[in-house]
Amino acid sequence: MFWSFFCIRLRFLVFQQREEKQLEASVESLISRVAHVKNALHSFIYKLENEYERLTWPSVLDNFALLSGQLNTINKLLRNEKTPSFRNQVIIPLLLSPDRDEDLAKLTEQRVPVFSHEIVPDYLRTKPDPEVEEQEKQLSTEAARIGPEVAQKQIQTLNKLCSNVLEKLSNPREDREAENAAQRQNKPFFNPTDTNALVAAVAFGKGLSKCRPPGPVAQGHQGQGQMMSGGPTLQQVTIGGGSGQQAGMGGPVAPQQQGQPGKMPSSIKTNIKSASGSMHPYNR
Amino acid sequence: MEAPPVTVMPVTGGTINMMEYLLQGSVLDQALDSLLHRLRGLCDSMEPETFTDHELVYLLKGQQGNPFILRARRSLSHPNTPWHLRYLGQPEVGDKSRHALVRNCVDVATSHNLPEFLNEMGFRMDHEFVATGHMFRKGAMKIVVSKLSRILVPGNTENTERLSLSCLVELSVLAPAGQDTVSEDMRSLAEQLKPLLHLEKIDPSKQRH
Repeated sequence: MFWSFFCIRLRFLVFQQREEKQLEASVESLISRVAHVKNALHSFIYKLENEYERLTWPSVLDNFALLSGQLNTINKLLRNEKTPSFRNQVIIPLLLSPDRDEDLAKLTEQRVPVFSHEIVPDYLRTKPDPEVEEQEKQLSTEAARIGPEVAQKQIQTLNKLCSNVLEKLSNPREDREAENAAQRQNKPFFNPTDTNALVAAVAFGKGLSKCRPPGPVAQGHQGQGQMMSGGPTLQQVTIGGGSGQQAGMGGPVAPQQQGQPGKMPSSIKTNIKSASGSMHPYNR
Repeated sequence: MEAPPVTVMPVTGGTINMMEYLLQGSVLDQALDSLLHRLRGLCDSMEPETFTDHELVYLLKGQQGNPFILRARRSLSHPNTPWHLRYLGQPEVGDKSRHALVRNCVDVATSHNLPEFLNEMGFRMDHEFVATGHMFRKGAMKIVVSKLSRILVPGNTENTERLSLSCLVELSVLAPAGQDTVSEDMRSLAEQLKPLLHLEKIDPSKQRH
């Protein structure tokens, strides 16, 4: 009986040793992975702070991808079967002192110079932050509330959506182009008639007469030879003969401004001619 | 003594002969936001400039057919800035392969009594409109997205109504005569704005009818 007890004890000790070795090995690899992440973050932050102007979005994306890959490897490492469960290990600080510890400072690159009461709650923390804990509690009560069937349905919908998106992404490009082109044709972004109308408006005022009198008034005025701008005025070049009467008043002076700013007097031509012709103001 | 002939030849003498290369298009109001986003990404400078301008077009009827046109423009959003007077010549009928409309352009800034001065000179205002919108720059290229409104009561710029539900988009470059390479840059920018916007050279004389 003593011998069997001894055997069991021996096997337990061996098991413990193997566990310890595994623990050590996994902790070592975890440290090295975390060191990789730290280096990647360090260089990324340096790039963001110093090479801000030259940074392009693809290189930022590359950095993020690198970090994400490294975090993935850490996750895989933790999930590995060979890794003992770290939850079963407890870290107890044996000695806290407010004095500066040179070895610790060198080990942590001057980030933790003192192993004191202030740093213990942050660095040896095992529970999540209070806010995170609160959110987790909310999420778990929410999950418990909706019940298993609803949850299952939601999972199925999510799976279906994901597979749809994956299918669309992996389809050959030509299929996608056809769909896009068909969609785009339904929504025109511009109207060619509008383009022409706007260009005409800017170029020579089509549709933009300076005053818009109602129809009958325009007809009445036109009888006197005044130019009312009922339509595009640039197209009419020769003027009625009635405007010649104003020539007498003009003389060598530029044609007088008409009473209403909206009219287009046609007397320019006739004025200048008459001034240089027989009508000289200083003649008797 | 005849009045000097009103000519449509490019104005020379004293200044470099500047030509304006122009491409025009329009975009519906509902697509305006996406166009502005795209332009903001493609063009220089963070914030586009907005403007509200009142443009008056003055005509001088000459001896022969075509009247002489001058365009006076003032900013309604910055009332103290100088007025802007511009002469645009007839589009050059060069080779058809040139991608943009090319015409002679003379630009000056003037004081605020420009309308009275032009009236005294014999010009008469033909039409006026209010343009409000955004202006973007990319290198030497200028893109103006504007909503045109007609003025209902002459002289009253508050009372306006939109001319159409689209916004006019103009891509222009001011360059000395003979530099045809700018039209290549303009064409590549126009390509990048498709299919939202089709910028093309629209001959205004074809629009008369």
